[in-house]
Amino acid sequence: MATRTLMHIDLDAFFVSVEQVLNPELKGKPVVVGGRPDRRGVVAAASYEARAYGLHSAMPLATAVRLCPQAIFIEGSFPRYREASGKFMAILADFSPFLEPLGLDEAFLDVTGFESLHGSIHRMALAIKQRVSEEQGLCASIGIAGCKVVAKVASDFSKPDGLIEVPAGEERAFLAPLAIDKLPGIGKKTEQRLRGIGVKTIGELSLVPLKALKSHFGASGEVLHHHSNGIDSRKVSPPGEAKSISRETTFDKDLSGRPMLEATLRYLSERVGSDLRNRGKQAKCVTLKLRYADFTTITRSYTLPQTTDADQAIFDTGVQLMRKALAAERQPVRLIGIGVSSLAEPSRQLVLLEPSGKRQEQLNRAIDRIRDRYGFSAIQTGRTLRLRDIFPPNDGGAFQVRETQ
Amino acid sequence: MKLSCTQENLNRGLGVVGRAVAARTTLPITNNVLLATDESRLKLVATNLEMAISHWIGAKVEEEGDITVPARLLTEFVSSLPSDKVDLSLPANSKTLEVTCARFEARISGVDAKDFPPIPKVSEGINTRVEVNHLRQGITQVVFAVATEESRPVLTGVDAMFEGDLLTLAAADGFRLAVYKLPLATPVSEKTEVIIPGRTLAEVNRLMGDDEEVIDITVNPNKSQILFHMKNTELVSQLVQGTFPQYSQLIPQSSSTKVVVDVAEFLRATRTASIFARDGSGIVRLVATPGSGELTTGKITISARSEELGDDVGEIDATVEGEEAKIAFNGKYIIDVLSVLREKQVVLETTNPSSPGVIRPVGVDNYTHVVMPMFVQW
Repeated sequence: MATRTLMHIDLDAFFVSVEQVLNPELKGKPVVVGGRPDRRGVVAAASYEARAYGLHSAMPLATAVRLCPQAIFIEGSFPRYREASGKFMAILADFSPFLEPLGLDEAFLDVTGFESLHGSIHRMALAIKQRVSEEQGLCASIGIAGCKVVAKVASDFSKPDGLIEVPAGEERAFLAPLAIDKLPGIGKKTEQRLRGIGVKTIGELSLVPLKALKSHFGASGEVLHHHSNGIDSRKVSPPGEAKSISRETTFDKDLSGRPMLEATLRYLSERVGSDLRNRGKQAKCVTLKLRYADFTTITRSYTLPQTTDADQAIFDTGVQLMRKALAAERQPVRLIGIGVSSLAEPSRQLVLLEPSGKRQEQLNRAIDRIRDRYGFSAIQTGRTLRLRDIFPPNDGGAFQVRETQ
Repeated sequence: MKLSCTQENLNRGLGVVGRAVAARTTLPITNNVLLATDESRLKLVATNLEMAISHWIGAKVEEEGDITVPARLLTEFVSSLPSDKVDLSLPANSKTLEVTCARFEARISGVDAKDFPPIPKVSEGINTRVEVNHLRQGITQVVFAVATEESRPVLTGVDAMFEGDLLTLAAADGFRLAVYKLPLATPVSEKTEVIIPGRTLAEVNRLMGDDEEVIDITVNPNKSQILFHMKNTELVSQLVQGTFPQYSQLIPQSSSTKVVVDVAEFLRATRTASIFARDGSGIVRLVATPGSGELTTGKITISARSEELGDDVGEIDATVEGEEAKIAFNGKYIIDVLSVLREKQVVLETTNPSSPGVIRPVGVDNYTHVVMPMFVQW
C-alpha cells in the first residue's frame, strides 16, 4: 500500500472547554461536567485542573466531590456541544474532504499529498490548531502518522494542546514504551487479561506471537497484534449514507441476569431508534450481537415484515432473538449490541383495523424532542431504570457505545 | 379387509385427502390415512384435527375392514405404480396392509383404525347449497386477504354471513379488506355468521371439481363445525371462534377521486413498479391526473424507486373523475386483488393519501376491496 498520511484531531476536555468559552471565569479551575454533585451520576468530562486531583470521566460524582471538593460542577448542555462539534468539523472539512468524524470531538483526516498546500503536514496541523483556537477558543491535540491507530495514540499522548508526528518506520518504536491501555480497543477486561500473561506495554504485546493472541482473544487477537506493531490498514471513510446503525456495550462484569440484559437491550434499542429517526430512515432488519464470557461472539438477525423506526419494534425483535440465543447458550454475557440494517426511506403501511401504531409513533417523536433539548437521559423508559447508575448523562461516560457505519 | 380398485382412482383419491394430512403434529396417527370399506366403495380419510377430508372411490370389496397407514408412504408408492388394478388386503388380526399391483408387492405397517381421531358428523344445523362457479369465484376473490400470522385468530378466517339467499364472504388482514357477495341456491332458514379458516376455503376451492355444479354446506347447530359436501368428497372443518370485526364501517362511503382503468394495464404497471420496490417495503406510488378537457383523457402514473437500484415510472390511460390524487400502496396488495378479478376494468376510489383506497370491478356490484395506503414522503 502506498504511504499515507493521516491525522487524528482531538479536542481537549471538550465539554468543559466549551463551558469555559461561554463562561471565562471557569478557566484555570477544576470544572466537572456531569450534573449536580448531590445527585447520583457520573463525570462526563473533567478539566485538566480537575484531572490533577485524579478525576476522570465515568467516575461517580460522589467520588469526584470527595477527591476535589472545590471543583465547580455543571450540568452541561448537549445541544451546545453539538453546535460546537459542528463548527469544529466544518473547520476540518476546509482542510481535507477526507474527513471521518468520531463522536463529537475527534476526527480522522486523510491528508496524503497535502504537503504542498501548507508547506508541510506539520504546518498544516498547526494551521488547524490555530483556526480551532481562534474561531472556537478550543484546544485541539493532533497526532500525525501513516495509519489510524498510531495517529490516535499520538494525539492522545500529545495532550493537552499537543502535536506529535510519528514518521514512517518509527511506529513500533513510538508505541513500544507505552502502557497497553493506551492502545485503542484495549478496555479494562482485555488489559487485565494481558497483564495476567505478563504483558504491560504495547512493545511487549507486539512481541507476543500472533498464534498465542488468537488463542486468547479469537479474531480480535489478530487486530491487537497488528495494531501493537503499528499496522492498521483501515481507511479514513467519510460517513456518507449509513448502511446500518448499531450500538453495543461491554459490561463491567459478565452478566447473566435477564432483567439487566433486557434493560440494557432496551437502552441500546432506544439509542438506535433515536438515531434512525434523526436520520429520517427506517430499517427492515434487526441484528442482535452477543459476546459470551468465553469471548465467543454471535450475531442473530431477523427481517421484519415491514420497515420500522420504532424503539419498541427494535427492542421486541432484539429481545426475542436474545431469548432464543440464551436458551441455546447458558453463559454469562460480556457484550451486548443491537443494530438495524436494510435502511429505507420512512414509510409505513397504514392500518385498517387498529390504529395503535400511530400512538407509538407519536410517543417516540415526543421522546426524541425531549431528548434533543435536555439530553438522552432526561427521559427514560421504566425498563431502563435499573441502568440509572451507568446511564451516561450525555454521550460519554462509562456506558461505552460504539456506532458503526 | 380385501378389495381391489384402479391405480388411477386410488392415486387421485390419495391426492384429494393428502392435503388434510397433518404436517407437524403431536399426534403421530394424523400422519396416516384411514382406509375403510364403505359398502361397495373404498373410503379414504385424512385429518389434521382442524380439517378432515373424506373421499370415496369405486372398489370391488370382498371383505370389509379398515386400517390406517402412513399417508406419505402409501401416496408415493401408489403414484409410482403402473396404471393397473391394485389389490389391497389386510389379513385377519394383522396390522400390515398388503398392496399388490401388476408385479409389485408392498407390505405397509399400519395402526389400528380404532385409534384414528373420530371425524365429526355434521348432519343437522343450517343447510344450504351454492353453485360451484359462484363459490369458487367468491373464495378466489377474498381468501388471499386473510391474515397469515396468528396474532388475531379471527383474521386467519373468512367471515361468512348466510342471510336469506345471499352469502357474504369477507376477509381482512389488518391492512386490506375483501368483501364478496354471492347467491345461495337454497336460502338459509336463519341468518348465520361463521368464520371459516382461510386454509379450509382454499382446500374447498381446490376440491371442487369441474364436473360438479353445486356444493352442499352444513353448519352444525352450535356453529363449531362446517361440512362441505361434494359428489365423492366431504370436507369437515372446525370454525374459528370469536367475533369478526364490524367491517362495513371500514368501507369508505365517499371519495374525492375516481379512476377507471383497464385491469390488465394496471396490473402490468404495478408489477413493473414492484420490481423496483422490493427493497423499500414494496412501495408503489400512484398519481392520477384528470384529463384537461373533453378531448384528452386522464392518466395514472405508477412509479417506484429504490435508493440502490434505480426507479421506474409507468403511465396508463384512465378516466379520472374529481381531483388529482397521489397515493402510495404496497404493490403486492394491488397485484393480489387485480390478479383475481375477471372483469376488464376497475374503478379505484381515493380520498387522500392516508385514507383507504377502494377497488371495485366495473360492471358488477358484488365485490369491494379496501386497501390501506402506505405513508410515504412524496
